[in-house]
Amino acid sequence: MSSFIELKNVKKTYEIGEQKFNALSGIDLSINQGEFVVILGPSGAGKSTLLNLLGGMDKATSGSIVIGEKDIATYTDKELTRYRANDVGFIFQFYNIMPTLTVDENVNLIKDVTNTSKNSKDILKSVGLLKHADKFPQELSGGEQQRVSIARAIMKNPKVLLCDEPTGALDSKTGIEVLKLLKQQSDEDTTVIIVTHNSLIAEIADRVIKIKNGKVESNEFNNHPKNIDEVKW
Amino acid sequence: MVVMLKRKMFRDIRKNLSQFITIFLMIMIGVMAYSGIEAYMDGMQATSDKFYSENNLQDYNVMGALTQDDLKDIKKIDNVKDAELKLSITATTDNDKTLLLNFIDSNNISKFYVYKGENFDFNKSGVWLDNFYAIENDIKVGDTILVKYETLELHEKVLGLINVPDHLYDVRDASELYPDRKEFGFAYISTNEIPESYIKSLVMKEFNITDEKVFDSINPNFEYSKYIPYNNVMVDVDNVEKKEEVKDKIEENIENAKAIINIENTSSYVTYQGEIDEGKTYVGVFSGIFLFIAMLSVITTMTRVVKNQRTQIGTLKALGFSNTKVLFHYIGYGFWISIAASIVGLLLGYFFIGNTFIDLEMAMFEIPNGHPVMNSNSYIVAVIVVLIVALITYITGRTILKENPAETLRNKIPSIKGNVLDITKKGIFKKLNFSSKWNVRDILRNKMRTFMGLAGVVGCCMLIVCALGMLDSMNYFVDLQFETIYNFDYKLNINSTITDKELEDLYSKYGKNTSETLGIEIKDKDGKKEANNIFVTDASNYVRFVDRKNNIISKPADNGVYVTYKLAENKGYKLGDKITWHIYGEDKYYTSKIIGFNKDPQNQNVTMTKNYLESLNIDYKPDAIYTNMDLSNTKEIKNVETIQDIENLKEGMSNMLSMMKTMLVLIIGIAVLLGGIIIYNLGILSYTEKQYQFATLKVLGFKDKAIKNIFVKQNNWIAIISIFIGCPLGFYLTDWLFKTAIEEHYDFGAYINTITFIISAIGTFLVSYLVSKFLARKIKNIDMVSSLKGNE
Repeated sequence: MSSFIELKNVKKTYEIGEQKFNALSGIDLSINQGEFVVILGPSGAGKSTLLNLLGGMDKATSGSIVIGEKDIATYTDKELTRYRANDVGFIFQFYNIMPTLTVDENVNLIKDVTNTSKNSKDILKSVGLLKHADKFPQELSGGEQQRVSIARAIMKNPKVLLCDEPTGALDSKTGIEVLKLLKQQSDEDTTVIIVTHNSLIAEIADRVIKIKNGKVESNEFNNHPKNIDEVKW
Repeated sequence: MVVMLKRKMFRDIRKNLSQFITIFLMIMIGVMAYSGIEAYMDGMQATSDKFYSENNLQDYNVMGALTQDDLKDIKKIDNVKDAELKLSITATTDNDKTLLLNFIDSNNISKFYVYKGENFDFNKSGVWLDNFYAIENDIKVGDTILVKYETLELHEKVLGLINVPDHLYDVRDASELYPDRKEFGFAYISTNEIPESYIKSLVMKEFNITDEKVFDSINPNFEYSKYIPYNNVMVDVDNVEKKEEVKDKIEENIENAKAIINIENTSSYVTYQGEIDEGKTYVGVFSGIFLFIAMLSVITTMTRVVKNQRTQIGTLKALGFSNTKVLFHYIGYGFWISIAASIVGLLLGYFFIGNTFIDLEMAMFEIPNGHPVMNSNSYIVAVIVVLIVALITYITGRTILKENPAETLRNKIPSIKGNVLDITKKGIFKKLNFSSKWNVRDILRNKMRTFMGLAGVVGCCMLIVCALGMLDSMNYFVDLQFETIYNFDYKLNINSTITDKELEDLYSKYGKNTSETLGIEIKDKDGKKEANNIFVTDASNYVRFVDRKNNIISKPADNGVYVTYKLAENKGYKLGDKITWHIYGEDKYYTSKIIGFNKDPQNQNVTMTKNYLESLNIDYKPDAIYTNMDLSNTKEIKNVETIQDIENLKEGMSNMLSMMKTMLVLIIGIAVLLGGIIIYNLGILSYTEKQYQFATLKVLGFKDKAIKNIFVKQNNWIAIISIFIGCPLGFYLTDWLFKTAIEEHYDFGAYINTITFIISAIGTFLVSYLVSKFLARKIKNIDMVSSLKGNE
């Protein structure tokens, strides 16, 4: 069986003035559909760059990024926009929800870009925010705001859910709730990729990829992922 | 636009309401100022065009001792549509007011606009009276007035109160600037009302017959109407483009025609049109500056608004929104606000500025139905404003969208080139205290915002200096005219029919300081003739000559002519040049050498001494006597048409100044309002951008007062620098306005008192300081946690 996500020799070089900086120096990796993947690595290792490339938010300098048999590295800006609209869900460390839209409106915002969206009420119910549907983000706690972000991401029924330090700004209890939600998505066959510093999250992952200096240091399949409640935070 | 984005837009606007309100106000004020002044000017033009056309303003006034036969001959000339005879005289009333009295046979040219009463009828006995004069003197239709001229006395019932197209602006003589409606007006009476006995007495006088019986025996069939001494024929032509040919034909064929004056050279027409031309420059300058500084500020604000949405733009992109959708979303912010502001600006411009200015003008000019007119220029400007705002939003949005979403999601770190701030580490900067250093660096990092702030305050200061400076300059010229040049208390305008003996009598009573004004035509090298006048003086120290520096030329020379500076500049005359001229109604041309220049704020003409005139073998017939005798209780002097009191002349000028003042107060008001809004707006921008740093300072233990001082300090610096730039610019603007915008026959320049600069500077600084202080109050309420978190 071929992998759902396949990266071959992916490089990303930034040019700052006359200086060149290699954020990714040849990444090769494969991820299967529905896997719960954790990408670990120190600051500056290239984790976020990798996530941005997977999400079509940035373009690789070279290499191929095949997602569901399509190489998004060759996509034009328009194709990338379509890809982000239909196939990928993003979850950010600082939520990036629209402060002037209510919870319900933030989630329904997705209806403006894709036709494959789910029912927002179901989604809000599933993330436990139905009662907060008419509130503005600033009226919510950090965990609740992150759940809005998750709800918005899964609203479009994405093939891949990309999460950049999704629990980074949350306390452990709230972080666990968020991880449970993400795991649930993976159980429903959505590929979930989490970029984090927090190695504890790796214990619940199906696959753990370690990045160092812009390269894959290890890519291991975890045959016995722990249940979230078993992890000692 | 998609529903959620629309909601986002409205909520974002609500969240940044004060910023959007200022954008709204700036656009509104800019468009209001532009369209208002434009509506006022176009309204003036449209009002006169309509009046002239509907009431059939004549094309030429033919002057001379004209007869019914002359009228018939003029009517026969090709391209003459119609012509009418008129006898115009300066009469007085029983209460010593002056009336420009016109006797007419018909009223198809320069037709009356009747406010009250009835239309002209040759057979009706009565008078049609100047509407303003009637209002000022509380005369109503049905009242009877007495008009006197020499031995003629007519008791006439007022049949109508009227406006007439060639009487929009009437002053007794050129020394008056603002019409004195209480003392001077015009009136029309049918020639049918002139008593036969009066005409007969004139004819008898002409033929030296004293006995009426003798006269009757010589002229048994005397038809007095044939002897009415008409002195004007109003000529209306068919094809205006060929009207010069009509003038030439009249000159050739009508012997009695002594002068043919194009209506466009008459004082009523010129003064009204001059007002429009002046205003047109205001449109370009005042409203242009208003609009420019408003737009600068709007552009800065919109750019900042969109830039502040950077991470949201990134998020929308990350969610899969296309660039076009995101762009349209952000263009909408400025678009709807600017459309709404432009519409309100257009409406206020028309109804508020347009109507107010037109009403002020209508107090000076006698013209019915004055109303502002909104023309396509205003709509075009409003559309351009909307497009500029949309374009700026588009460009800013596109710049952000050009980055990939990953970059956009990160807050942009301000790019500071090290060497820009290097200067702040050296020399005197090193010794500055923390707040000054901080402000210098903030200015260097935000050059654009600082520049816009400077531009706004400079504009505000410049307009205040200019508006107040115009008043100063006008006052300066009143002084020059009525204190330096005119050195008399009373001017007696002598009746043209005065005999030498009667003149000697006047000399013996009131002195021999006299002058004569001759209507002339100056012929240039190409043979083109232009109307002007020569002021012939024998008034010694009573009407003085001044040079460019206002020094009195004590004894004008007798070997040539003096020309006013502005006329010399316009015509390119140099000292020693010769001008060729002839007196209206005479064919003989004279060539005179220019022996000097003189300054005259009100009239641009030629001046010569009585001695020089007589050296050309031209008789000197004075038409004015100047005296310093106390004539305050003298109502009437035999053979004197009018007695002009210098105080009344000054009063006329101050009436005009008070009209100007109202306009200038409006302009200053708008300038202060706009300046205040711009400073407030840029203050908000600057405050929002510094909020994080202020929060950090708070965390570090800075007191609110210290932080407020840092904030206010920068705005004070900007205000002070702006004042230093704005004051001289205000002076140059005033000077330019006076030199280019004002009518050709005025010679004004900017003369601004030091105190005016000081008041303008203090005013500008106060506006800036108070707005900064008001904004600084926000510092007290900075929530340290959320400010710092929001910037992560």
